Amino acid sequence: MTYLTEVWAARYFWVHLALSDLRSRWRRSFFGALWSMLQPLFMTLMLAFVLGRVFKLNVLHYAPYILSGMIVWEYVVSTAINGALAFVQADAYIKQCRHPLAIYTLRTALANLIVLLLASVTLLLWVLVTLPGNFGWAWLGALPVFPLLLAVAWPLATLLAYIGVRFRDLQHALGLVFQALWFVSPIYFEARFFREGGLGVLVDYNPVYHLLEIVRAPLLNGTWPALTNYAVVAGCALVLGLLAWLVGRRAESKVIFYL
Amino acid sequence: MNRSYIRLEAVDLLYSSMAYKERSLKALLANMLNRRGARASVIHDVHALKHVSLEIREGERVGLLGHNGAGKSTFLKTVAGLYPISSGKVTVEGTVRALFDLSLGFEPDATGRENILYRGLLLGLSPKAIRALEEEIVAFADLGEFIDYPIKTYSAGMMVRLAFAISTAVGGDILLLDEVIGAGDAKFMERAKKRIKSLIENSKILVLASHDFAALESICERGLVFHHGEVVHDGSIQSAIQVFRKINGLSELI
Repeated sequence: MTYLTEVWAARYFWVHLALSDLRSRWRRSFFGALWSMLQPLFMTLMLAFVLGRVFKLNVLHYAPYILSGMIVWEYVVSTAINGALAFVQADAYIKQCRHPLAIYTLRTALANLIVLLLASVTLLLWVLVTLPGNFGWAWLGALPVFPLLLAVAWPLATLLAYIGVRFRDLQHALGLVFQALWFVSPIYFEARFFREGGLGVLVDYNPVYHLLEIVRAPLLNGTWPALTNYAVVAGCALVLGLLAWLVGRRAESKVIFYL
Repeated sequence: MNRSYIRLEAVDLLYSSMAYKERSLKALLANMLNRRGARASVIHDVHALKHVSLEIREGERVGLLGHNGAGKSTFLKTVAGLYPISSGKVTVEGTVRALFDLSLGFEPDATGRENILYRGLLLGLSPKAIRALEEEIVAFADLGEFIDYPIKTYSAGMMVRLAFAISTAVGGDILLLDEVIGAGDAKFMERAKKRIKSLIENSKILVLASHDFAALESICERGLVFHHGEVVHDGSIQSAIQVFRKINGLSELI
């Protein structure tokens, strides 16, 4: 608890860091912030066209399926992979000032969350235009996905950052791990493919599936997400938070030696 | 009002040798595979502070002497709470303001004015407090129109001036200085010294690490001599300088 108060006390600093990350990210591109909205859209159009043809799916419905999977997954992966380097990149700050180290992963998680918010505007517009019948109160059920994602990605990034300080080649390994996770999760491929192939386990016991259902049930089907979906994601956040806390308690003060 | 103090009781600090070895998953796997093979040369932990016990009370001005690597900076960083100690106990009462490596942590693409904000935030100030200090910092750094230029266009001297102006704009109960005096042109140095003086006067405790005997003698009363991680002398600054000269004279002969 006192740790979180310290994080809160430094809020001006990490908010500034997150915003400056975004500034430097958008400064370099012509479309600026708009790029974060357009890029997933173009990717989706392409994928939906090809995969829709191959699997003979309704493109109108399948495109937002891919888009929702893409932006949420992209958030988790980029927060984890950038987060793994968060301490290494913040070495100049860490060597000078004693702030709780978790603010440097929070910075990554927060900056990416803003990118996700922008990208989800694209998703909302798309669904409103192509599936207007789904609009309703149930859409409110999708909102908790943002705090939940932050609650999962922040401790995950923190945990990886501790490992990343010790093992500098962690990033490459992570790329592989997430690629593998992507394959066994219903991110681009529909959940029913897994079920029909007798791999229902990969859906029901997969936190990624439950995470995505929080977005997909309201937007794509017009229904409220199941309580299980929230519970699984919140459980993940809790476990990761606990792990990050345990590791941090032992390792936090020693990080400075490894920078 | 609590009185400020620094107290170290039997403090040991070791830099883990782990930090100097090759650190990658690849190396870990390779080591696991040929664990039976002859171990390569073992790197030992660096014992940077050896059994240091001392107390610095409010109102004291302490100078640290010692050869390079004797433990002066490690001592300061330990007091600042940056380094974890291996054993013993450190208690520090009062807000600590440390001036270590001034040029770290600037954003090259941002202007001088923006960097004032950033560094202020790093030091834990609120945006409001920084705005209140901004004009004073700009005036002190005296960079003219360059204050609105990106930092990457600055010369090294200008960078130090800005860093110095920001870092010294806010004082604290306990001031830790590590060789900061000695950058910038003569005109700036004059003002910097004045500023340091007023900072020192307003702080309750000062710890200064320096090789500049004249500066140490004029600022400090108490002197600590570090030698290979140990405090070998603790007394008046004059006696400390003598001891330091003697030790170093000896080590030069060997």
